[in-house]
Amino acid sequence: MALIEVRKLVKQFDGRTVLSNIDLDLEEGEIKVIMGPSGCGKSTLLRCLNRLIEPTSGRVYFRGEEVTLPQTDVRALRQRIGFVFQQFALYRHLNVLENVTLGLRRLRRMPVKEANEKARYELGRMSMLTHEDKYPGQLSGGQKQRVAIARALAMDPAVLFFDEPTSALDPLMSQEIIGVIRQLRRDNVTMLCVTHDLHLAQGISERAIFLDEGVVHAEDSIERLFGDHEDPRIREFFRQGNGPR
Amino acid sequence: MSFLQICLLLAKGAGHTVLVTATCIATALVTGLAIAILRRQAGAALTRLLSIYVYVFRGVPVLVLLFIMFFGLPGIGINVPPLVSMMLSLGLISGAYLAEVFRGALEAIDTHEVIAAEAMGMTRMQALFSIELPQMLRLAVPGMLNEFTTVLKYSPFAYTVGIPEIMKQAMALASVTLRGVEIYLAAGLLYFAIYQLIRLLVRSIERKFAIPGFAQN
Amino acid sequence: MSGIIPFLQDVLAYWPQILDGLLNTLLLTAIITVTGFAGGIGVFYLSLSRSREVRRFTEAYISFFIGTPLIVLLFLMYYGLPQWGLRLSPLAVAVIGFTMNVSAYNARYLTSAYKGLDPSELEAARAQGFTTAQVFILIILPQVLRLSVPALTNQAILNLKDSSVAFLIQYTEFFAQAQELAARNFQFFKAYVLAALVYLAMVSLIVLAARMLERRLVLPGA
Repeated sequence: MALIEVRKLVKQFDGRTVLSNIDLDLEEGEIKVIMGPSGCGKSTLLRCLNRLIEPTSGRVYFRGEEVTLPQTDVRALRQRIGFVFQQFALYRHLNVLENVTLGLRRLRRMPVKEANEKARYELGRMSMLTHEDKYPGQLSGGQKQRVAIARALAMDPAVLFFDEPTSALDPLMSQEIIGVIRQLRRDNVTMLCVTHDLHLAQGISERAIFLDEGVVHAEDSIERLFGDHEDPRIREFFRQGNGPR
Repeated sequence: MSFLQICLLLAKGAGHTVLVTATCIATALVTGLAIAILRRQAGAALTRLLSIYVYVFRGVPVLVLLFIMFFGLPGIGINVPPLVSMMLSLGLISGAYLAEVFRGALEAIDTHEVIAAEAMGMTRMQALFSIELPQMLRLAVPGMLNEFTTVLKYSPFAYTVGIPEIMKQAMALASVTLRGVEIYLAAGLLYFAIYQLIRLLVRSIERKFAIPGFAQN
Repeated sequence: MSGIIPFLQDVLAYWPQILDGLLNTLLLTAIITVTGFAGGIGVFYLSLSRSREVRRFTEAYISFFIGTPLIVLLFLMYYGLPQWGLRLSPLAVAVIGFTMNVSAYNARYLTSAYKGLDPSELEAARAQGFTTAQVFILIILPQVLRLSVPALTNQAILNLKDSSVAFLIQYTEFFAQAQELAARNFQFFKAYVLAALVYLAMVSLIVLAARMLERRLVLPGA
């Protein structure tokens, strides 16, 4: 039984089909990268899995339990998924430590001392401990993203979702985050990453799923996706930007 | 007497309400613009004086200033007609608020455009009238609409100085019939209708003078 | 100016009533500032509702109270309701009327601040598993209130100035007492100018307090 199983997921917006019969399996400890051009539906796919967007049809299973039912406790599901956004989405009226402890204090009802301890542990893991009193407005993009990852990790999620984690960062900061994700991979954190950044994909995974116009076109090693692929769309997507390593 | 009849009776005062509102808005626009322009161009002393004027006129209630003009001035020998005392109170106070709206709008204009105009050879005044004011007026539309609506909502005070506008009609009617609730409800709807008319008027003027792509910043 | 000394002597003699009026002004202002603030948050919360009917109704409420003179509402309650058998005190009418009016304005300010929020923060909060109410209390409200401080303190100033309207429904606040003073010694000009100066002084106090509040609420790095 995989951690997450997606079966025939469909999403339509105003008659437009954004996701079409998506099947996906994510095993515990695995990292999967979903790539595709803008508008291919990859961000929508991610949001359907924690029901930030409601799928039109199809089923999603989390640890064997179907979570696309009307009676599913969506909030409990979301607490088990750590979500990292392209725009970092740190709460700008709270400092770094408060950003990380908010979920622990209000959702888990942890006492402040315990929450702070847990937060500091995760911030330390992300090398952001010295900045715990700073506000998001005082941090660089890479620093903000590391706090965002710490915030997600603090809730001890079963899986981390990354939505274009490096797309708002310059190359240097992207490298920072690639390093962080590789570290998490070594710690066996289950991760699902959606991106159009080839450099990121190569840096964190050997395989990738190619999504275009809501349909999975390939799931293969990045090496082969980079090479002379028969599918012209894949060739076009992977040839832009950097070439094969 | 039906509700509709009540509305029609009250509408007799609507003309006076519109007159009071229009004259006060006109006063406010003239003084507000004058202050905004002077504060921009004048020296430090005059600017300081104007800022104090604006502060004072934004710190005094309309009713108090109205009573000063209408009931107070005669005591020192100046007799002011009712409409003029409305203009000197509600109009000037609104003008002070508009001056602030215009100040905010002027600050939002790209100074590079003014520098470019001066580099072309325009004087400060020419730049002001052909570059800054046209933009300022468009940026200030929401603030102006707000202020015009406020003028309408303070116009009922005119009844205290004897102007027979909607409120006065309502009070007269309420004292003869015993249907105060319906009468004041009708008055409220009448004012609301005039408010919608003002909104439509301002919006259509805004559309007529709109500049494509202007509000992107 | 002639007659200032006798005028000031009159003021001194009438001082207890003037003070009483001032306290009534401050009382009304304080109450409606608080209730209008709380009401504004409530109306703002409703304006974010998922139900389209609730949103429509809230928008109509706000639109109506922003587009109608407060005095009409006050007269309706004070002079109209007794004919239906409901007699309310001037203070009660003023509080109810002002609260409904001020809530509408405050809700508008909060909504405009809300439009300046980063929507991804709200999405992140939902993704963390917070309920709609929690997102509102923990993320939306703190930021929106901070951003609205200038508008909300401005509204407090307006409340103080507009409290003078209450004299028209026989609430004996400061302006009413100023008129009593003027009626006694026929020094209308001096009495009303004095009233204006007193309002100006009170407004200035609020302005000072507002500036201090704004300084304390600025976020580092904002």
